[in-house]
Amino acid sequence: MHLTQDLELFPEYTVTQLLFKDVKNATELRKMAVNGEIKGALINPSMVVDAFQILVAANKAIHLHKSGKMKTRSLYSEIIFSLSPTSNISEAFKRFGISDSDSAVLIVLVHNKDETLNIDNIISKVDGQQITVDRVSDLNDVAKIKKLYKVAPQEEKCGSLLDAVVCRMATKDVA
Amino acid sequence: RCYNKRFPKLYCHPEVDEKLTRRRATQEVRSILRCRRAGINAPVVYFVDYTTHCIFLEDIIHSVSVRDHIASAQASEQNPQHLQTLADKIGEILAQMHDEDVIHGDLTTSNMLLVSGAEDQNMKLVLIDFGLSYISALPEDKGVDLYVLEKAFLSTHPKTETLFERLLKSYTASSKKSSAVIKKLDEVRLRGRKRSMVG
Repeated sequence: MHLTQDLELFPEYTVTQLLFKDVKNATELRKMAVNGEIKGALINPSMVVDAFQILVAANKAIHLHKSGKMKTRSLYSEIIFSLSPTSNISEAFKRFGISDSDSAVLIVLVHNKDETLNIDNIISKVDGQQITVDRVSDLNDVAKIKKLYKVAPQEEKCGSLLDAVVCRMATKDVA
Repeated sequence: RCYNKRFPKLYCHPEVDEKLTRRRATQEVRSILRCRRAGINAPVVYFVDYTTHCIFLEDIIHSVSVRDHIASAQASEQNPQHLQTLADKIGEILAQMHDEDVIHGDLTTSNMLLVSGAEDQNMKLVLIDFGLSYISALPEDKGVDLYVLEKAFLSTHPKTETLFERLLKSYTASSKKSSAVIKKLDEVRLRGRKRSMVG
C-alpha cells in the first residue's frame, strides 16, 4: 500500500511514502520522530497535492544534504522545509509538519537502495488506518494549498495545481 | 499523474564564467515563473541545482514546434486561415509576456511549441528556451526581442511577410504598452538596414 520510488538524479536512494488517516496518536508519533524512533519525515497531508510533490522535496533535500548546503539540521527536516514556498523554517515546520491534533499523517522515508526497510515496524507504531498514497487528495485542503503557495487563477491555465506548487518549491531560492 | 510519465529535460548554462552562469540560470528561472504566474505557458521547473546551475524542466511531449508546423502547412498548401489564427495567437502571447516585462532573448519559431490535441481556438502554445531571458520594462529591449523574431521568422519561413505583419498587429492589439515597443522596433529595423548599406 505504500509507495516506493527511485530518484532519477540520485539512483542510490529510494523514497517511500506511507499515508494514514484516522490517526489517534499524533502526539506520540511526533515524539518518536524527534527522538529518532521513527527515522522519517512526518508531514501534514492537508498540504500535499500529490506524491510527486513529496518526491520533488526529497530530491531537493537529498541534493542539499549531499552538497552540505542544507538549511535545517537533518535530511528529514530539510524535506519538510523544501515543501515550503518560503524561506522561513519555523513556518515551514508549522505548516507542513504534523501537530498533536492532526488525524492524518504522511510518513516519508529515505533509504539506500541496498537497505531493507522494515515498513511493518513503522506501520505498527501508527494508531490509524493506512491508505494508498494517491488518496492524499481525499485528505488535502486545496483552498489552503492555493493560498499558501499563492497560486493565481490565471496560472492554472498553464497547468495543474501540482505544476504550480512544484515550480514554487523549485524556485523559491531565487524568486 | 505518475512521476514516471514525466521526463525532465536538463538545461545547463555552458558559460565559463561562474558569475555569468549563475545569473543566467537565475534569470531563466525567474522569467519562467513570471510567465506561468501570468498564465503564459512555459515548462514547469522541477529542480534547480545551484552548485552547477543546471535546471531541470518539464519536457513538453506530444508537441510540434511552430517552425515545423508552419513548414508543413506551407508544404501542403493547407488552409491559410489556420496559420492566420496561429499568428494571432503568437502575437497575443508575446504581448502578454512583454506586458509582464519578460524579455525572451531568443525568440524563434523553434522556441514555440504547439501542444497537439489543440485545434485552432483551443491551440496551446508553449514558450521554451528561456536561457537568454531577463526582466526589463524597456521598450527598446522588447523591440529588439521582436526584431530577433522577425529576422528568424522571415529567414526560416519564406514568403511570410504578411503572416508576420498579422502577428505584429495581434501583438499591438493585445499589449497595453505596444506603441512604444513598435516605435522602438521600427528604429531597430532602420538601424539594421543602415548597417548593411554601409557594410
